[in-house]
Amino acid sequence: MPRFNGLLVVLLALLALKASADDFSYPISNALMATIAGTPQRLMAPVPSEADVRQRDLSVRVLPERNLPPTLSQYRDLHFRLAWQQQPAPLLFLIAGTGSSYDSPRLDYLKRVFWQAGMHVIVLSSPTNHDFIAAASRSGLPGLGREDARDLHTAMSMAAEKARHEVGLQVTEHHVVGFSLGALNAAFVAELDQRLGQFNFSRVLLLNPPVDLYTSIQRLDSLARTRIDGVSDTDSFYEHIFGKLSRYFAEKGETDIEGGLFYGIQSSDQALTDPELAMLIGAVFRFAAADLNFMADLVSGGGLYAPADERLKVSTSLTPYLRRALFCDFSCYIETQLWPDWSSRNADKTIDDMAWHTSLRSIENFLASHSGIAALTNADDLILSREDYDFLHQTFGERAFLFPRGGHGGNLQHQTVVERMLSFIQGE
Amino acid sequence: MRTTITLGLTCALLATPAFANQAPPYHDPLAGLVIDDQAGHYQFERSSLDALNVYDPFEGFNRRMYRFNAQFDHYVYLPTVRAYEVVTPRFVRSGVRNVFANLGDVPNLANSLAQGKIEKSMRTTARLLFNTILGGLGLFDVASKMGLPQEPEDFGQTLGRYGVPPGPYLVLPLLGPSNLRDSTGLVVDWSVEDAINYLDSRSVMNNEQWLYGLYAIDLRYNNDFRYGALDSPFEYDQIRYLYLKLRELQIGQ
Repeated sequence: MPRFNGLLVVLLALLALKASADDFSYPISNALMATIAGTPQRLMAPVPSEADVRQRDLSVRVLPERNLPPTLSQYRDLHFRLAWQQQPAPLLFLIAGTGSSYDSPRLDYLKRVFWQAGMHVIVLSSPTNHDFIAAASRSGLPGLGREDARDLHTAMSMAAEKARHEVGLQVTEHHVVGFSLGALNAAFVAELDQRLGQFNFSRVLLLNPPVDLYTSIQRLDSLARTRIDGVSDTDSFYEHIFGKLSRYFAEKGETDIEGGLFYGIQSSDQALTDPELAMLIGAVFRFAAADLNFMADLVSGGGLYAPADERLKVSTSLTPYLRRALFCDFSCYIETQLWPDWSSRNADKTIDDMAWHTSLRSIENFLASHSGIAALTNADDLILSREDYDFLHQTFGERAFLFPRGGHGGNLQHQTVVERMLSFIQGE
Repeated sequence: MRTTITLGLTCALLATPAFANQAPPYHDPLAGLVIDDQAGHYQFERSSLDALNVYDPFEGFNRRMYRFNAQFDHYVYLPTVRAYEVVTPRFVRSGVRNVFANLGDVPNLANSLAQGKIEKSMRTTARLLFNTILGGLGLFDVASKMGLPQEPEDFGQTLGRYGVPPGPYLVLPLLGPSNLRDSTGLVVDWSVEDAINYLDSRSVMNNEQWLYGLYAIDLRYNNDFRYGALDSPFEYDQIRYLYLKLRELQIGQ
């Protein structure tokens, strides 16, 4: 009997191993690499080319009373992208992630996925993106779940109305999909809409959502403080990276700054190390944070960066403001802009209370009880802590689509992942 | 005793899938990194501030020109390119591309020679010959298919090669980011093409001036840059640095 039991244990262990040794063909196991490199061409789900999509960029004036300086006049209207079908079809809203607008390449790809599957698609900028802050954020201070959801909901209604007016859009039902921070926005929009009853979303899909926004922000902020070997306290990190690029090109004997460049470098002697990859990702987010800091301050009239009484002309140099804004990361934005404003309206509350209200945990019951809401993420998504990951798994249960690799959004073009998204959106 | 342990293990293994629902195990990509606390080394800040130090004495003019170019691109240039895509089949567009690219190999060759790049000059000469003779006056880029991709060299690069500094940053009308050195280079390259008049190209173009329009459309058709692509109110600052670095990389080759 003991021997039999031992055998059973070995068998079960093997079974367990088989279950975890997955058949997911996404190849990049380094999450930082995956985040930057995305999906290799040969594993991508095929989509039509941009030129073949029936689409148009439209705009709506969301806040008629907003006054912007000349240098930002192009953001007076909220621009969005519409891809439409000629027959009645579901309308899917796609919401961009931190520091991304409606025309970013990642969203263009997702747009084509859903358009190809027979849906109308409206793509919207992230409420934290500078164009949305200027054109559609009532407070000018994005970063609060419920307030951002209200702004978005308004923008979505107006965009759908505009689409009906312009191309005669006929809508059978509504879906909403968001990426990264846009996924958190989508969850809060769905929760708000459930009470308003306007869109009655059939499907809500959260792609690589943060759980607790401020936890994710701290993780992203920390990337830009990664210590890098071989860069002293006086060297420039960018020069260091360009140095590697330059040596790589010299070894290769040609300059070809095209797709595939990153794979080329990573398989050469000049491959970027993990700390360097982390710093690159961190730097991209810090520039997004600088945009957010500058724009939110300008629109809300805080005077932290551009003086409130200065009229920014097209010819005005914004460089001095960028220089200052670069010192302020996302956590700094929360401390210097979001929190002072929030606490003035919520006198007896703490910063943790504010964080709670922008966490998926605050709408846990809503998320857990609606079969039309799903989350798709990866076990190595760098914006998630272990607790966040477990929360997604436990809250969404069967509707948590968890992949073993892909970093933050690196596998969203992978065939298996795209199939998973579509089968959920189109499922009965 | 052993039975108890194995039984326990069995139970644990049986219980795990029910709880874990086969979720892949969490892995923290940040775990292996050394991250400074708040009072850190300011690596990011120092590097970024440094990148903003680009000599730009005509910034007011440049920023206005940048905005003008963006508007022109949005309202005129890109719609024209889209119309071009609608009215011409793909093989016509690539033929147009190849013809102008073939002509462009003349200044490429001149500048390779001027920089003493013998092998590159030989490759570009071979390209010119193959594409002009076998490729029907450049209509087909047979050289690329034979493993000889185009290797652009302009007079700005030649000047850079001999140590001429970039000089003040300039945003040129319609052409976009440049600097004093590279703008001078453009004028020289243009004059070289004029003087050599390869395949009578300039005479033909001067007689048929619409070809300059086609040249401009082809130029934009083959350039993927989009204003607003950096998603930032500080796009001007970022492009200014990236242009400088791109040119350094090209000059270094």
